[in-house]
Amino acid sequence: MVQMTINGKVVKATEGEMLLAVIRRQGIDVPALCDHAAVEPCGSCRMCLVEITREDWNGWKKYVTSCLYPSEDGLIVTTHTPELQEIRRNILDLYMARCPGSELIQKMGEEYGLTRTSFKTIPEGDNCIMCYACTRICEVLGRSAISAVRRGHAKVISGPFGDPPPDCIGCLSCAHICPTDVIEWHDQDGVRGIWGRTFDLIACQQCGKTIITRDFAEYLKEKRQIPADYFDICDDCKRVELARKMGGLVDQAKEVAS
Amino acid sequence: MMFRYTVNPALCTGCRTCELACAFTHTQEQKPGRSRIYPIAYGPDRFVPVTCLQCDDAACVKSCLFDALKRNETTGAIELDKDRCVNCRACVAACPFGCALIDDVHDEVVKCDLCGGSPACARFCPTKALVYKRIA
Repeated sequence: MVQMTINGKVVKATEGEMLLAVIRRQGIDVPALCDHAAVEPCGSCRMCLVEITREDWNGWKKYVTSCLYPSEDGLIVTTHTPELQEIRRNILDLYMARCPGSELIQKMGEEYGLTRTSFKTIPEGDNCIMCYACTRICEVLGRSAISAVRRGHAKVISGPFGDPPPDCIGCLSCAHICPTDVIEWHDQDGVRGIWGRTFDLIACQQCGKTIITRDFAEYLKEKRQIPADYFDICDDCKRVELARKMGGLVDQAKEVAS
Repeated sequence: MMFRYTVNPALCTGCRTCELACAFTHTQEQKPGRSRIYPIAYGPDRFVPVTCLQCDDAACVKSCLFDALKRNETTGAIELDKDRCVNCRACVAACPFGCALIDDVHDEVVKCDLCGGSPACARFCPTKALVYKRIA
């Protein structure tokens, strides 16, 4: 256990626990775009910057991304200062120029008093803030189908060499984790399209409802040993089936009793 | 202390009070469609309250690639950690009883968590078809 001061309040935390988690547990709202519990933190969105100092630092202080900074004994953390708010405002100003189509970014900008970006909006902006949440979640999944390709201004998230990713299984984890909601996908006529590829969706054998792709089911079968027939029918039909089976047993028991 | 949630379909009258209790507890809305428990008719006037059975070797836990589903050892419930869930729906597809559900309103996965140790459905069940009791 370590003891720190957050916004003037003494708090306890486990050693090595990241500051952002400790701060949020205190009910303090620090914005973060690239942070997600299921992936390793990477500190790319810069929104969770906080000011840290120590008593023996003689007034020196520094700004760190709280999602990546482990808790230490004697740390003095401040989450909201005029300087920090200014930094966050500037970052959001840049994000607003890059993501004219993202509701979340525009709304966050408004919260920081930005009605419009002071930079030139990138007309061909892809609304991606390069937070790597999608690539990190794909890595956790064990596929690493997508990553950043090319360098500098031309950097985009894509399959290898900018082509459709051969290792993608169409699970949509990347699309759902994306903070700015830019990864396009569609489910149509039993086919899912994402990253320029199409995947067959498993249709329920009884009602035709679709839930996941065939490739994703295959991956689950192989990686987590889920029996193949578990994916044959949809959740609605499985519930009806369960009711029928359980009901049959109840009727049998009643007959035996009477 | 260990608790177990039991369903006795022979006592179920299909009154659907559990459905309303569940929906209200979890969504603050009296909409049966947003419940985690469904009394399903399998014959005339015969019902089975279908809900998560908190399996010992659960397919949902096995299928979750992000460790978002974990058993709460006190309540016995398999709980969904919303912060870790990325809505991939592996659990929905893998559950052999169809009891990992999709909330269409918020487009997210929902699952019975036994209300953290005091299931509303069991409290409201008038015929005691649903019982949450201490077993050890």
